[in-house]
Amino acid sequence: MVMKNPKLARVAQGARLELVPLQVVVPVVSTIIALGIGLLIIAATGASVVEAIEAFWDGMAGSDFNIGASINRAISLALVGLGFIFASRANLTNVGGEGQIAMGGMFATAAALHGAGGLPLGLAFIVPLAVGTLAGALWGGLAGVLKAARGTNEVISTLLLSFIALPLVYWSVESFHLLRKPISDVSSLPESAEIPDSTKLPLLFPDNGSPLHIGLLIAAIAVVVVWLVLRHSSLGLRLRAVGLNAMASRRAGMRTSFYVILAMTVSGGLGGLGGAIMILGQQFYLTSDFSSGYGFDGLVVGLLSRGSAVGVVIGALLFGFLRSGSINMEISAHVPSAVVLICQGLIVIVIAGSAILTNRKVTR
Amino acid sequence: MIDEQMAVFVGSGLRLAVPIIFAATGEMLSERAGVLNLSLDGMMLMSAFTAALASWATGSPLIGVAAGVLVATAVAAVQAVLSVTLRANQLVVGIGFNILALGSTTFLYREIFGPLSRDPIPGFAQLNLPWLAGIPVIGPALANQTGLAYVSILMVVVTWLILKYTSFGLAVRAVGEDPRAADKAGISVAKTRYLGVLYAGILAGLGGAFMSVADSNTFTENMTKGAGYLAITAVIFGGWNPWYTLAACLLFGFATALQFLVPALQLDVPVALLLLLPYLLALVAIAGLVGKSRQPSALTIPFERGG
Amino acid sequence: MAVLELSGLTKRFGAFTALDDISLQIERGEVHCLLGENGAGKSTLCNLVFGVHRPDAGTMTLGGEPFHPRGPAEALQRGVVMVHQHFSLVPNMSVAENLMLGRASAVLKPQDIIVRMEQLAAEYGLEIDPEARIEDLSVGERQRVEIIKCLLGDPQLLVLDEPTAVLQPDEIDALLAICRQVALRGKSVILVTHKLGEISRVADRTTVLRQGRIIETVAMEGADIRSLVRSMVGRDVQSAGSVLAAAVDIEGKTPAKPSSAAGPASPGEAVLKISDLVYRDPHGVPRLDGLSLTVGTGEIVGIAGVEGNGQTELGLILAGLAAPSAGAIVVRGTPVGGRTPQEITDAGVGIVPEDRHAVACIKELSVAENLYLGAIGKFSRFGLLDKSARRKAAEAMMRDFDVRASSPDVSMASLSGGNQQKAVLARELSLDPLVFLLAAQPTRGLDVGAIEAVYNRIRAARDDGLGVLLISSELEELMAVSDRIAVIYRGKLVGELAAGSFSREAIGAMMSGHAHV
Repeated sequence: MVMKNPKLARVAQGARLELVPLQVVVPVVSTIIALGIGLLIIAATGASVVEAIEAFWDGMAGSDFNIGASINRAISLALVGLGFIFASRANLTNVGGEGQIAMGGMFATAAALHGAGGLPLGLAFIVPLAVGTLAGALWGGLAGVLKAARGTNEVISTLLLSFIALPLVYWSVESFHLLRKPISDVSSLPESAEIPDSTKLPLLFPDNGSPLHIGLLIAAIAVVVVWLVLRHSSLGLRLRAVGLNAMASRRAGMRTSFYVILAMTVSGGLGGLGGAIMILGQQFYLTSDFSSGYGFDGLVVGLLSRGSAVGVVIGALLFGFLRSGSINMEISAHVPSAVVLICQGLIVIVIAGSAILTNRKVTR
Repeated sequence: MIDEQMAVFVGSGLRLAVPIIFAATGEMLSERAGVLNLSLDGMMLMSAFTAALASWATGSPLIGVAAGVLVATAVAAVQAVLSVTLRANQLVVGIGFNILALGSTTFLYREIFGPLSRDPIPGFAQLNLPWLAGIPVIGPALANQTGLAYVSILMVVVTWLILKYTSFGLAVRAVGEDPRAADKAGISVAKTRYLGVLYAGILAGLGGAFMSVADSNTFTENMTKGAGYLAITAVIFGGWNPWYTLAACLLFGFATALQFLVPALQLDVPVALLLLLPYLLALVAIAGLVGKSRQPSALTIPFERGG
Repeated sequence: MAVLELSGLTKRFGAFTALDDISLQIERGEVHCLLGENGAGKSTLCNLVFGVHRPDAGTMTLGGEPFHPRGPAEALQRGVVMVHQHFSLVPNMSVAENLMLGRASAVLKPQDIIVRMEQLAAEYGLEIDPEARIEDLSVGERQRVEIIKCLLGDPQLLVLDEPTAVLQPDEIDALLAICRQVALRGKSVILVTHKLGEISRVADRTTVLRQGRIIETVAMEGADIRSLVRSMVGRDVQSAGSVLAAAVDIEGKTPAKPSSAAGPASPGEAVLKISDLVYRDPHGVPRLDGLSLTVGTGEIVGIAGVEGNGQTELGLILAGLAAPSAGAIVVRGTPVGGRTPQEITDAGVGIVPEDRHAVACIKELSVAENLYLGAIGKFSRFGLLDKSARRKAAEAMMRDFDVRASSPDVSMASLSGGNQQKAVLARELSLDPLVFLLAAQPTRGLDVGAIEAVYNRIRAARDDGLGVLLISSELEELMAVSDRIAVIYRGKLVGELAAGSFSREAIGAMMSGHAHV
């Protein structure tokens, strides 16, 4: 008899049962270490750490406005992160969040500027949201189709698609035939006109000056739906099966190509929705670099979460607040916000490097 | 007039191709050993910055290049520890390094050079080889390059020789194709892969240093603009063969150079579309070709000794 | 004098003890056989000697010096070489390149290797084209390359791990002869096998392993084969019946009554009809070349053949995982050639594929999830899974098919190979409708108990009126279970034998393409 008795194996595992699972410890510890290094770097520049932290805190949560702005940022990051874990359930790594956001934002802007403004009953903003989602879905789905039909590695293809999407946005705000606003006497920057008020996302607390908008509810619904689908639905099980062993899944009657394309499409769609919400909820007009860094932030959020929808929420809030804080830190304390990039890079590296610790146990 | 523009186009195409040739050639060897370094872009960026900094501080572009290569190799060493010893996901680690490289170079650049400084730094002079300049149309473009540009071609030859005629090259191919078999033949899979990654780091370092010290004589934030990703794509496009990879790099270089040629010829093509052209070409290339050429079987798969 | 001396070797994998206190001496110039069932620890022992694994306790000496290899490189340096069960050649490289791997100087010198190859060809009769690519060679030729690779460096000790499993009968003879020659030249050979027939032909001494322990070491002169078998399986062969005899190939002979355990076959109408099946691989090489075959209700048709003659491709095509290039496959009137796996399942076809881990189950998923892998929708409501209903159904199925696991929720990977295979059988035999079952290499890697269970299931399915196609590279297994045996050679059926007329010699000849019946 070769095999370990499963009961014995379980007892053996139980003997070294940790109080907190490594899956939680590793992201938390690496985040803390990375932030610590960030502080050291700030201190090394000779800037006042206290001042920097104050500016940071102020930017994150210094006022209702700042809190709302931070959460608004977290909403888009959460959607990109959800997209990431959705694809990764099928063992696909969607690193093209940036491009999917860009396409989503661009097409949402186009929809908002060209026709959606006059629609009744909230359709004015729902239609641009849907258009943005669709654009992101197509962009992600394209990588899925390439994977299914040609075996193209989705990491490379989603990256390249991002590099293609960004010039497209640049083109759209550069060309008067597309989305660039007509030259007025005030400004001639390459950006789109402001979207109509009716297409902006309604605020949740219009009275207290918080910019928090209904994107929060949309993201909350997305979190619940993604959680249900991935953990408790037959679709989630099929995605998992296809991702773990495509051949066995095919033999069991699943159309593996379909699930690969579906996973990438949904993943991209969530990114596109995130991009649309950025424009409709917060920025209100399209600029060539409106998506800058959000894709990678969302990717990091997805990685940190280790496949858990709740983890995505926590990670998105963390990075939403971090980003707000770092912007204010650069403005008030003159500490380059690139420090936050350094921290993020470190977090990704440390978490990936510690996978050898956490992967010993079968996930789930 | 047209000739002159063609010469400029060829010259800038070559200059744009050189960093990709360096990086792709090293990356090809590393991938033949089974390790994909998505961190190539980060290695190049860090090297470009370090080379600029060292050249600016010492006045010697040569020291600049050395410093750049050193830093890129250090990044490669960490990447190797993570991908080979710790068996981390090579793609995710690579992305982490790229974020880190962007953050740290941007940060240090602003701290040291001040925001958006455009001061030129000491760089290499062009060689102006007369015997090359005689060739019609492309001659001047071929001749007016820095020595480092010629080194890139030399490295392609060296890499080809290593893979074909040395036992290290044989080990690299075996480890990338069937690490278990290589291990049982007494080859150290880990050592071979470490060397492969370090080799990629050295060459990516040369490529990055070329950008700042030999090509533009300055550093700008995120100056690689995804050149590392293009290099990786060139390796795939080139079917893990040194000469085809070189051809892919030249193709990407010239596609990028179109953005200078097209406005000069007063053609009405949006610059944005020219910006995305190399990436579009790359995407079409890997989508169209991956099925035909066979990648090293163990690419991105960590090796763990077992029964 | 002992070349290799092991004392008190112990190796654990997690909570599982693979080897327990092994002490053994290998003499100079002897062929020493390691005999044991699957999982007895034979391969683990070889891997310790070759440095693939390191022991948890105990010591080894080689030529009187302490020997604790930290990896194959060190073992090779000390003159220990090994031919592995799974070949360790790089498929897309040439023979010469594979031989240079790990031993060449900084710059490759193919000429040196070719000269050495010629010497070995003269000495042992091991000839092979140095320029040939490994992937173009037959299994037997690849093994020859492995042996040349081992002998290049003039080793002290040659370890062969189950080398005959993949060979044709005449290739086995040649290999055993080489073992004797190597021993004659003063080197030592460790030969791992579970086939007694080979042991009696080549071994000087035999050590029997069971459940990680040494049961006995005996000199082969005058040894009692039956008692070796008893040591190996831990019970009497007679009581276990022909299954056991088939599994261990006693004395290399056919079991007394080929289908003694099988009831009388009464084949009825055809359930599976394959006509002129052709399959070309992506390189255009024909792997199946006009194969025709009929399986009737209530019969087990065995396909005999040396591996690599098209069996794998036939299995993949029947499973719907590869599309035939030409020809027709009809199951009860429904054409299934080139159809999707789902359509094939719907036509009433159950598949026990050759590669359990790659095709039959997903080891990271739970047993219950694997049992209902093809019917995920069966336990879902509005798209959400009803896990408790699935667990209940899975428990019932596990009880019926004697799948032993602590719960349906444990991962498939935690089950023994035998229980995994029983789970696969459970799933495939529970299909509805079901008229035909393909069982490809169904007992590979299983222990005797599980092998018996698999045979019983297959026979029961036949008795229920199913048509069964049994593809196996174990001749003894085919002769014990099949009602009819067809022999495949180079993608074609080259002969067929009806129950009662099975002869090892005739089948062996057809398998190697030497004769038609």
